[in-house]
Amino acid sequence: MSPLNIFRAGATALLLATTAFTAPAFAEGKLVVSSPQDPGSWDPIDTFLVNWASAATNIFDGLTYRGPDMKIVPALAESWEELDEGKRIRFKLRAGVTFHNGEPFNAEAVKFTFDRLLGDEGGKGPQRSNYTSITKVEIIDDHTVDLHLGAPDPVLLTKLAGYGAMIVPPKYVSENTEEFFNLNPVGTGPFKFVSYDPKVSLKLEAFGDFWGDKAKVSELEYRFITEPATAVAELQAGRVDVVIPPTIPVAMVPTIEADPNLELASVTSPTVWALRYNTRDGITADVRVRKALIMAVDRETIVKEILGGQADVIASFQSPLSFGYDPELKPLPYDPEGAKALLEEAGVKPGATVQIDVRGNDATFGEVAQAVAAYLSMVGVTATIQPIELNTMLNDIIPQGKTGAMFQQGWGGWTFDYDNTAYAMYHTGEKWNPYDSDPKLDELLESQRPLTDRAERERILKEIAVYAADRVLEMPLYNSKALYGINKRVKNFDPAPDNRLRLNAVEVQ
Amino acid sequence: MIGFILKRLLQAAFVVVAVSLVVAVAIRMTGDPALMISQGATNITEADLQRIREGLGLNEPFVVQYANSLIGLLTWNFGNSFVGGTPVNILISRALPATLMLAFTSLLLSIIISVPLGIRAAVSRGRWSDQLIRICSLVGLSFPNFWLATMLVLLFAVTFRLLPPSGMSGFESFIMPTLTMGIILTATNVRLVRTTMLETLNSQYIMVARAKGLSENKVLYKHALRNCAIPLITYFGLQFGGLLGGIVVIERVFNWPGMGTLAFDAVAARDYPVLQAVIMILSLMIVLVNLIVDIAYGFVDPRIRKE
Repeated sequence: MSPLNIFRAGATALLLATTAFTAPAFAEGKLVVSSPQDPGSWDPIDTFLVNWASAATNIFDGLTYRGPDMKIVPALAESWEELDEGKRIRFKLRAGVTFHNGEPFNAEAVKFTFDRLLGDEGGKGPQRSNYTSITKVEIIDDHTVDLHLGAPDPVLLTKLAGYGAMIVPPKYVSENTEEFFNLNPVGTGPFKFVSYDPKVSLKLEAFGDFWGDKAKVSELEYRFITEPATAVAELQAGRVDVVIPPTIPVAMVPTIEADPNLELASVTSPTVWALRYNTRDGITADVRVRKALIMAVDRETIVKEILGGQADVIASFQSPLSFGYDPELKPLPYDPEGAKALLEEAGVKPGATVQIDVRGNDATFGEVAQAVAAYLSMVGVTATIQPIELNTMLNDIIPQGKTGAMFQQGWGGWTFDYDNTAYAMYHTGEKWNPYDSDPKLDELLESQRPLTDRAERERILKEIAVYAADRVLEMPLYNSKALYGINKRVKNFDPAPDNRLRLNAVEVQ
Repeated sequence: MIGFILKRLLQAAFVVVAVSLVVAVAIRMTGDPALMISQGATNITEADLQRIREGLGLNEPFVVQYANSLIGLLTWNFGNSFVGGTPVNILISRALPATLMLAFTSLLLSIIISVPLGIRAAVSRGRWSDQLIRICSLVGLSFPNFWLATMLVLLFAVTFRLLPPSGMSGFESFIMPTLTMGIILTATNVRLVRTTMLETLNSQYIMVARAKGLSENKVLYKHALRNCAIPLITYFGLQFGGLLGGIVVIERVFNWPGMGTLAFDAVAARDYPVLQAVIMILSLMIVLVNLIVDIAYGFVDPRIRKE
């Protein structure tokens, strides 16, 4: 053998060895999803974690369904009508639906689900408070139920599409312990439960008797991977097919884009970010100062340079997808000279200081805050950045009004209704509103809540956004994109803005 | 001997009580788990929060809650996690073996490499092989472990696709985490073995052994190594204890379903029962490892056995 031939033989052997290792590790028809958090329980009434819904939306159904297009469509209920001026909703239930364990779905199951959610068992979890507008569930016949409401709840149909309102099998739930149901969920969805290994994985398989479009892949596995670099490495290695939010940081976008086997899906999310003001004390108590600080910061440049364009500048504290969003309301333009003039008018001397509180674990926002501080220094305001441990900040510092003059706030309710945000942020005495109290704003917020007239409610929500912008209650920054990393062998994957994934249409090659 | 073991077990109990008490008090200062669980809930009222606290057992007096967690250690029933209500013993029974196995393989790898290298360095003190070993160990010491881990993943999992990047799934999955931990431990251990060996080689009985005309190998491995063993066993034992708590970073990078991951998530979620159980078990393990080390002395050194 000539040296060249030996080299060739060696190279061939090496190549063969490599193909042996890179051959697809899975049988066809298996989809593996990396999710950053294990909710610990699959019972719909136990949790508020978005990543519960990323997986459990495949196991359970609600009476209604809202997919990635944000439209409310029938699910376990085929139709519904409002009675008694919105205080009663009658649902016609889908016939012939069975749970994964063979139990039939009927009016009894609906009543059982809501009695459980609103009763003692639901009270121990966080979901109950979302559904307290329901006072009673009345069975009309086997496939008709009435939900009686204490007051009209315009967001109820949306809320019935997720979380606590997912319909559970009465017999299975009552015959087993609470713990058993947490770890062995049964629903009516396109995939049924196979096994759950806490902190490691959840395995599901296609449910043959599903009432809707049956799943295209036979197996669906969720792996819980917190560390972004690890999740992306698994994606690059081809052992994970989809990495769902909130995992991939903006800094890792180029890695995914550079890999020929992968693609990035970037979709508008409900998540918005702002630096909110202490409107009660210090220089930010003056509305002119608050406005000047916004004008001093070039938010377009921050989005472009720091966030790699994976966000949109906002004018009010909501996503364009939210009900009540007003496209006419434009962000204040970058105007450092105007900012200086306003500051001078307000009597703020150059060298005045503000403290910006940020979440200690959020590297991306840390950079944003530094850029904000740099812009503020250009108009003579010295900003110091104070990182605080996430949970301390959310549960103690903000609710107790112990923040600096400005503090980081993120928000993103899955209901996509501005009421959810605005009420929590601006209404007097709310947990997230430690500083401000405005009777006019309170009145506006309360007035829209019971309205079932969508147009009128939307008009008031828009008015609220304009009012909050006029009072400059926060420095609105941006609406971040939800980032999905996807292997190109995955087809028909529709990245949901709210991360609630229903994967029956997905195929793998 | 039995009296000695009893005394040490009593000490162990004291350590576990002291550590768990500190943890129990400290974690309760971080804030209210009910707020944590209901984060994102709208319209939540104080009555709702009360109900959640009641369900978590937080309305019991602190003494009762703490006593329950101690009894839990004896009965292996630590209650349910605040996140999702999974029984804590299920979580522990999966995480503890994962961590123990990883700590064991890492330490084993390190001992296998560092003992021969350390002896070689000591024997050839000042010569080029000693220099080389010392330089390598310095390089090993200078790697931050998360960096080393990331590099290994990029090389073996992403580029060559030979090994799984993360998770615990069979033999291959142990290679990278073990290497990462092993390399860093080896860096320290080589120096330790070298120093200990040098001290021993300077003692008079080695000179006697050599004077008797024993072969150099016999001197090294029969006389010197046996006498080095006591400080080394002590150190490796302590290191094993330290490893159990210290592989948090590695567990995170490799998504290893161990005690570190469990503790990390529990702290972030104010999950009292899980954190308490993890800490109590880890401190118990550390104390026990030390006890085993002490007992092991007796086998290595007859003088201690007689005392």
